[in-house]
Amino acid sequence: MTIMTSLRLSQRRIRGALTLPNGILALFVLAAITAPVLAPQNPYDMLQILGWEASSPPGTMSGNGYRYLLGTDGLGRDIASCILYGLRISLVVSVVSAAAAAAIGLTLGVVAAYFGRWVDAVIMRAVDLQLSLPTMLVALIAIVTLGPGVDRIILALIIVQWATYARVVRSVALSEAGKPYVDAVRTMPLSHGRIILRHLLPNSIAPAITLLPIEIGHAVALEATLSFLGLGVPMDQPSLGSTVANGFQYLLTGQYWISLFPGFALFALIAAINFAGEDIRRLWDPRSRSL
Amino acid sequence: MTTKDEKAPLMEVRDLTLVHRGSSGSTPIVRDVSFSLGYGQVLGIIGESGAGKSTIGNAVIGLLAPGIEQTGGSIRMNGIALETLDAERRRALRGGAIASIFQDHTSSLDPLMTIGAQLGETIAALSPDLPRAEVRKRAVALLERVGIPEPARRYNSYPHQLSGGQRQRVVIATALAGSPSIIVADEPTSALDATVQKQILRVLKGLVEEKGLSILLITHDMGVIAEIADRVVVMKNGAVVEQGSTAALLENPQDVYTRNLLSAVPKLRRSNVDVRADTPAGADGNPGQAECRPARDAILVVDNLSKTFGGKSILRMFGTEKPGFALRDVNIRLPRGGVLGIVGESGSGKSTIGRILAGLETGNADKIELNGKACDITYRGRGGGLLGQVQMVFQDPSSSLNPRLTVVEALTECVRATARSGDDRSRSRIAKTIERLGLQQAHLDRYPHQLSGGQKQRVCIARALLAGPQIMIADEPTSALDVSVQAEILSLLKETVAENDLSMIFISHDLAVVQDICDEVCVMRNGRIEDYGTSDFIFGRSENPYTRHLIDARPKIFTR
Amino acid sequence: MALFKVISGRLYQAFLLLVVMSLIGFVGIHSVGNPVYNIVNIETATPDDIRRATELLGLDQPLWRQYLVFVQNLATGSFGTSYIYHLPAFELVLSKLSATIELAAFAILIAAAAGTGLGLLAGTRPGTLVDRMVVIVTVYALSVPSFWLSMMLVLFGAVMTGWFPSGGRGSTVDLFGWEWSFLTADGLKHLVLPVLALAIPNIALIARLARAGTVEVQRADFVRFCLAKGLSDRHILFRHTLPNISLPIVTIVGLQFGGMLAFAMVVESIFAWPGVGKLLIDSIQLLDRPVVMATLTFVAITFVALNAIVDLLYAVLDPRVRISA
Repeated sequence: MTIMTSLRLSQRRIRGALTLPNGILALFVLAAITAPVLAPQNPYDMLQILGWEASSPPGTMSGNGYRYLLGTDGLGRDIASCILYGLRISLVVSVVSAAAAAAIGLTLGVVAAYFGRWVDAVIMRAVDLQLSLPTMLVALIAIVTLGPGVDRIILALIIVQWATYARVVRSVALSEAGKPYVDAVRTMPLSHGRIILRHLLPNSIAPAITLLPIEIGHAVALEATLSFLGLGVPMDQPSLGSTVANGFQYLLTGQYWISLFPGFALFALIAAINFAGEDIRRLWDPRSRSL
Repeated sequence: MTTKDEKAPLMEVRDLTLVHRGSSGSTPIVRDVSFSLGYGQVLGIIGESGAGKSTIGNAVIGLLAPGIEQTGGSIRMNGIALETLDAERRRALRGGAIASIFQDHTSSLDPLMTIGAQLGETIAALSPDLPRAEVRKRAVALLERVGIPEPARRYNSYPHQLSGGQRQRVVIATALAGSPSIIVADEPTSALDATVQKQILRVLKGLVEEKGLSILLITHDMGVIAEIADRVVVMKNGAVVEQGSTAALLENPQDVYTRNLLSAVPKLRRSNVDVRADTPAGADGNPGQAECRPARDAILVVDNLSKTFGGKSILRMFGTEKPGFALRDVNIRLPRGGVLGIVGESGSGKSTIGRILAGLETGNADKIELNGKACDITYRGRGGGLLGQVQMVFQDPSSSLNPRLTVVEALTECVRATARSGDDRSRSRIAKTIERLGLQQAHLDRYPHQLSGGQKQRVCIARALLAGPQIMIADEPTSALDVSVQAEILSLLKETVAENDLSMIFISHDLAVVQDICDEVCVMRNGRIEDYGTSDFIFGRSENPYTRHLIDARPKIFTR
Repeated sequence: MALFKVISGRLYQAFLLLVVMSLIGFVGIHSVGNPVYNIVNIETATPDDIRRATELLGLDQPLWRQYLVFVQNLATGSFGTSYIYHLPAFELVLSKLSATIELAAFAILIAAAAGTGLGLLAGTRPGTLVDRMVVIVTVYALSVPSFWLSMMLVLFGAVMTGWFPSGGRGSTVDLFGWEWSFLTADGLKHLVLPVLALAIPNIALIARLARAGTVEVQRADFVRFCLAKGLSDRHILFRHTLPNISLPIVTIVGLQFGGMLAFAMVVESIFAWPGVGKLLIDSIQLLDRPVVMATLTFVAITFVALNAIVDLLYAVLDPRVRISA
């Protein structure tokens, strides 16, 4: 209930949230959900793919009776359909991994800040280590070790992302834990769990919420990059990244559409998420909050 | 009517009106304020927070915050209306004729630049042709003028290497660089300890007397006004309530608001020198002795409480880093049903005692007994025997309440945490308690940000009370509140403690407050007990030089 | 004393990083597959050949024993020989270094200068059109996935216009035993696109940081006091604002430079730039363990060294770090 009240947005804020990037983001989510209906072709189903129509430029008519609006890739898959299905993978992977990483990082960060001493030391050493290794390397090693697959990608992204949340949340929780309202409840016979859950956590959650969209954006990009390097989702499940990667070898011969359109979709998705993140950060920034 | 030969004032403010233009329309901040400042005069503007006094200062300097506009009236200096000047001439005026001093000495100086360089750049900006050596010479002279010891050496220091008082002196030196005729000083001493405050005020006063400077002094503190102001303007909600000479205003305030403001200020009395039988030790020609025989039955006994800081580190093991003492051998007897005051300047360790007793920090002690039962304080907060028995009221009420809980939620949690099993009457208990503390039922469902500072502090007292403690610790409970509210909260605390058979430890830097409500007083300095005795003894007969020094540092208005 | 503390902390961090990286690298590569199949000719090799090759490389030993051997070799300063190139692994990494260094150095210099400039431009006039433009454009720039940005640079800068070559280093000049592209006109031409690909996101990152720092510093009391002292805006900007925002910028520049040295693999593989990142990704794909381990070690050392340099720069820039009160 307390979190809900803090999330309660004023009329003006709701109107402020109706911006172009947020509209685009909503469209993306809608497109991903309804992909099986929207897409003329199911790129997972080899039977629907006509191999002899590979590398068709945008606008070509398909033998299956529909038009390849954005052309086909080197295997004959419809790029538009690949984008719609790829959006599903990108969104699921990024949202699930970011949410799980946020939950883990938030908990560990608050616990570290509250208990201090060795609990803090252990958690923060792990965080330091994780953050001193470059994201790309951790993701690379994780995915190499875990093997291919959508679930493995999600796991790898959680491993990459949790530490950021833990560090940011800890620093806020540390300053909150030093405030007298926490001192006041600590002088009462309340359990640690209750003090953390009811007092410390709700007041330390803001940075995790502002971080969430940024990290979702990162996750989309990272998943795409891993897929681009051939380490992400398997070839028969086209994600945005792997579709772009597929197009690379055709780029130099001028078959630009294979990588241009999926890449642009990817870019637009990340940009829309980042703008939504900017909005959320503005709403949560205490300096811009009206009294 | 002014006669022709009467000298015109240095600065004249007429019907000044300042308006804040926001998205929700414009709100007046300052309405029709008029006053004048003569040569070599100190004019004090006093008011509580939100009175608009700082905005007037900003208008005089010409640095109004974005969104605030001057919509009426004029500020004239030597007959020239400042608002008619263009930006460039206004800027030239700022460095030269009108200088300013801000409240926060920690952030008024660039942390990355030596104080000499910051002083030097001001001098160089005013006279660009001056050779470097001359700039340096002038800067050192200015530092010397404001009483910085070894100015030539200090010239190369960075702000963080100086104490708060020294930093504020550097700020004053910078303000002097342009040989100004007016200094606008916005709360120049409020962030400083009382003794340092006194020194800084003396520096300012010296400038007025020697150089014939005029000072526009903006403050909320009557003591500062009484110390150096010649005239006072009292402000409330953006308008002038009353103005006149300081002496007249203090002796005979006309307006009700001024009278309230004055009477709310706690005053230090000279204690009547009557020797009583129950004078605790420390009185018998043994000042500074940290030892105390219980005069009455003590509810809390603390023997040799110490706390070190510096933590564990490899360097400690090599012996290159000596541990510091936050507290050293502190002995305390809290009389049952009594109030023990702990006074000292910042860093004296007075707050640490309270936090250890409340279980928020750890420490070491030979003996800690509550009601004759030994307690453990070596583990933070949990199960030491003091848990729940000691409750605290903190300095800043705005951060003492969880911003996401309503009043009733916060208080219910507190009652449930400490209730004996099956106590279902929490709501009625809460209702009774808050009513007793001067709050209404309607306040129960509000969030902290919907309450005033005083109301928040009442909720904090209610929370401490509802936990059913034996001992209440109040750590500077009024210093974050407006003066007019301070007195109410103090008397409320006093009554609450008496009514509920509690004992209280009252921690404060304000001697007048301590004298008012404490039975016994303990003076702390650098982690040790410097002086200890009954209130009458400490304020009346203590020979301890540090205690006397503290009492003398009080602005004179309070010792009448 | 403080310096001793910092150095010992850094060394400890370096050691920990090396141990973790070597363990991860070992386990990671071991779990992917047997490198032998990349070494022998699968078509012609007999099972006996494979067995002999496996024994020769010590791959028949249990993993922990292989790790011990690796650590032992490390003590003598050797990372072993590349399975694929048959060259000492660390020398192989070093030979790729000049390509990566010139790429990263140009990119970070451009990014630091352009980013700081844009950030100051926007931060000193918050809320204006310029400021909003900078904020919006940087969000877009940070949203472009680097591989797609690189591919679009290839598409528009090389394939469609033919202005710049699409990959490779071009002609190089030997200096101090290393090959450098930037000393020849042809090499410089080859540098343009990959440098842009690396610099664009970093310009945006630094610009945002500089803007946020500027806005915050402009609000600080000491800037207000400087105004009250009558100093000019220009003087305040260069003597007070810039030094105060430089601290976070130095940190991010150090970190990003390290990242580029070690992990420009996406950009390097798209532009066929023979640097350390491309070597790493190729070695991982070929399971060339000695080279992977050597590269990771190089990466760890680079990161620790850069962190140490950032610490030192902090001490130079910030007297609060240099001199305790």
